[in-house]
Amino acid sequence: MKLNIGTVRSDCAGFNSIAHIAEQSHEAFSDSVEVDFSSCDFFEANMAAPLYVVVARLRDELNDVSLINLRPALDTILRKNHFLTRFQKTVLIDANQTTVPFKIFKLQAGEQFFEYLESCMYGKGIPAMSATLTKRFQQSLFEIFQNAAIHSKSESGIFTCGQFFPQMHRLDFTIADAGMGIRDNVRQYTGNVKMNSCAAIKWALTEGNTTKTGNQPGGLGLKLLKDFIRINKGKLQIVSRFGCYEFSASGDSCRKLDHDFPGTCVNIEINTQDKNSYYLKSELSSNDIF
Amino acid sequence: MNDRVSIRVADLIGGPLCISAEDGQKVFEKVLPLLKNGKPVTISFDHVNMVISLFLNIAIGQLYGSFSEDEVRALVRVEGLSGDDMELLKRVVDNAKRYYSNPKGYDAAWQEEEEGESEQ
Repeated sequence: MKLNIGTVRSDCAGFNSIAHIAEQSHEAFSDSVEVDFSSCDFFEANMAAPLYVVVARLRDELNDVSLINLRPALDTILRKNHFLTRFQKTVLIDANQTTVPFKIFKLQAGEQFFEYLESCMYGKGIPAMSATLTKRFQQSLFEIFQNAAIHSKSESGIFTCGQFFPQMHRLDFTIADAGMGIRDNVRQYTGNVKMNSCAAIKWALTEGNTTKTGNQPGGLGLKLLKDFIRINKGKLQIVSRFGCYEFSASGDSCRKLDHDFPGTCVNIEINTQDKNSYYLKSELSSNDIF
Repeated sequence: MNDRVSIRVADLIGGPLCISAEDGQKVFEKVLPLLKNGKPVTISFDHVNMVISLFLNIAIGQLYGSFSEDEVRALVRVEGLSGDDMELLKRVVDNAKRYYSNPKGYDAAWQEEEEGESEQ
């Protein structure tokens, strides 16, 4: 089976292309599946994470998956970010150090994720960001990672990848899972079995809403992330099943994808030149909090 | 004699990362019996590098399921959190108060919302 993948950027069209190959290969079992990049003019390297959602599902069904006809520049970047090691290709040294390597984590591997961020993201080609921005960025990534760990039930783990675009002072970081998706979680929790993907994402973004059970409060992670992105003038994308949600300084929107993305992917793009301090100058004490 | 009990989070969870629900639960389970006995508690975040809402929801937010706002205010102190993490905690606490005042309140409103656009 040969599947064509077009140009893939970090936008709804890019996610739609990936979802399309997932849909086309949905029933493949013990087959040979070739993902053909001959009509792919550009592939943003951080999108390796959602692409691997499809690959992981295919491999789980015992398919032999290969990537073919990659243009040399794409082959190079995907070897630099270690993605192609998952397809038996060797790593290339990332001399410019603009990649954050593709990595697969088990759901419980929060501490390894921390080590990965520490070792891969800072003090290399990615510019020094203010201490506050670095911390808020890390916190945001943890909120996303732990959301995936708790809610996705992804048997193949969590896939992460990042790419720095130096001329634009932008850093994209993507966390994807091959789990059940936000929609089915929210449907189960609310009992509204007809809720569509965009409505479910909107539900999950509402402060205090969480599908976590056990009489514990929650539902802040995605809201904190959105607040951070608003101040940073960055961009947030949440793609889950048919929903493609985007948030930036210019507003938010959710589009229905033509195809079913078999999991959830959160991409955050941050402005690396941000000098905001992110918190009020007045010191809060315990008395103010409780 | 000062009978306030200090809970050193980094020691208790065995590291500087307050990022998991399990570790949050560990802290909660230490605080809970102390508050039940009326003991004042200081939760110390000294030597903690990273704290996220998930952890705070469970370690501290969850206390509002067992104690009133007045009880928590009288007995619990936190120390060692930076200014921005104190703001995060404030948000967690406000969310927990809302949650326990009406735990299922948010959900009912969504029962009738946003159907349509058939998806498989």
